[in-house]
Amino acid sequence: MAAPRSNREFIEACVKSGDAVRIKQEVDWENEAGAIVRRACELAAPAPFMEKIKDYPGFSYFGAPLSTYRRMAISMGMDPASSLPEIGREYVKRTNGEPVAPVLVDRKDAPCKENILKGADVDLCRLPVPLVHDGDGGRYVGTWHAVVTKHPVRGDVNWGMYRQMMWDGRTMSGAVFPFSDLGKALNDYYLPRGESCPFATAIGLSPLAAMAACAPSPIPEPELTGMLAGEAVRLVKCETNDLEVPADAEIILEGEICPDYKVEEGPFGEYTGYRTSPRDFRVTFRVNCITYRNNATMTISNMGVPQDEGQLLRSFSLGLELEKLLKSQGIPVTGVYMHPRSTHHMMIVGVKPTYSGIAQQIGQLAFGSKLGPWFHMVMVVDDKTDIYNWDEVYHAFCTRCHPANGIHIYRNSTGTPLYPFATPHERKHSIGSKVVFDCLWPVDWDPINDVPTVVSFKNVYPKDVQEKVLGNWTAYGYPPVK
Amino acid sequence: MNQWEVYVNDVKELAEDAEIELTIRTLNPGIHKYTYKRVRAQLSADLKKHADQLQVRLGRGQLSNSRFSIKVLGEVQRMPAKYL
Repeated sequence: MAAPRSNREFIEACVKSGDAVRIKQEVDWENEAGAIVRRACELAAPAPFMEKIKDYPGFSYFGAPLSTYRRMAISMGMDPASSLPEIGREYVKRTNGEPVAPVLVDRKDAPCKENILKGADVDLCRLPVPLVHDGDGGRYVGTWHAVVTKHPVRGDVNWGMYRQMMWDGRTMSGAVFPFSDLGKALNDYYLPRGESCPFATAIGLSPLAAMAACAPSPIPEPELTGMLAGEAVRLVKCETNDLEVPADAEIILEGEICPDYKVEEGPFGEYTGYRTSPRDFRVTFRVNCITYRNNATMTISNMGVPQDEGQLLRSFSLGLELEKLLKSQGIPVTGVYMHPRSTHHMMIVGVKPTYSGIAQQIGQLAFGSKLGPWFHMVMVVDDKTDIYNWDEVYHAFCTRCHPANGIHIYRNSTGTPLYPFATPHERKHSIGSKVVFDCLWPVDWDPINDVPTVVSFKNVYPKDVQEKVLGNWTAYGYPPVK
Repeated sequence: MNQWEVYVNDVKELAEDAEIELTIRTLNPGIHKYTYKRVRAQLSADLKKHADQLQVRLGRGQLSNSRFSIKVLGEVQRMPAKYL
């Protein structure tokens, strides 16, 4: 099965496998669509494809595109029943290959150019921008999308998923953190010069392009998308600036970021499951041109309590990118997993504990990397603990992590304004704190006399006894174990 | 009559019977609902004093019980001319 090359192909594949439902009755863009998506996330239900939107004939919504591992597998062209470790291994295999350069297509071959609004016709209200949660500071244009920019000096392209709220018909405001690629470019280059920064927002991307925009990979997102898809992504030139955008995207917004002018943004329901970051003056995006496909579908991610695609996909890619980083540094890791229900705050690392201080070394590498601002807890367990089995991880944490010697705290590090536990001052200035939970037996303990023995069926009985008990299990009167 | 909404951290920010600047969004039905503008306005807790109505939300989106009538005196353009 080939990976879907567009949002439309992805919707069809999901409907066919039972992982999306077509909703034919009219849905209100004000709260109702958001509520459907939220409930679908909380139930891990099929993704809603809402075909009729109040006030917006001809447009549709696709919600919760990647909020299950089944849909993630479909997005990669895999069997929907693939396990998480299988999907992870495939991601690592594809992203360890050679970058696949994008191809530039003519605008006549780009569906995203089927409708073009410029000048006085530019009005974001002509698009079915949803009010995702009641009480949100505004209607959010960008919840599952890519903001495309190019570094003014290096020329490297960045696709980032920075949320964007409609302020008026031509203006959006968004949260761009100072440690992000775009945040650094704005603060280092554009703001000191008083120059505006060209941008394009692509909505309704192929799922792998969205995955790339979400991934904290050092590989440029167009190339990363090609690696994940196994073929080059098709790009097309923008109408009003030199940026290139996915030709098959549903909607493209072109414009400029105004580095010296900010308008209010938020509050907004966030991936942590709270509205944490306050309403504040944030980065302003001025829209000069809108292009869109006929019968365009707007994608909606509804962030909130677990689990939505923000949590699932960020957890997935953060964990795998950290695994690659740690292995590149020679750390004997056996796996890295971030449970989506941690709202990508806790990294679980499995390692062969071959020398002292390895848990702290892992923590320092993780927190010191580009990935670090996005999580604040690293739990290190040994290679015999199944990192995907929370019962085993929790048992290791509660029994092996020494309260005085095994918890290592790092203060005044980089954080995000979205941390629910952070003080108002810390949120304002992106200040974080980090913690490592060392759940390894110390290597200077005698393995025979000091290290406790795990008392479990598989660990304390001879193999022949285990086999006898397993073989007789139903004969004892128990139902079969699945 | 127009319906408006404002976000504040504290309702005390909304001084009555004085000209103040506010960022308000329209609640009038239609495709432009929830778009913002910056305005000069006068407020009153007397809901009949001015023709338009203003409801209030707090910092994390909570709807306040406070209601005002509002008279929009004019729009304030904050955006630098180079971006217009």
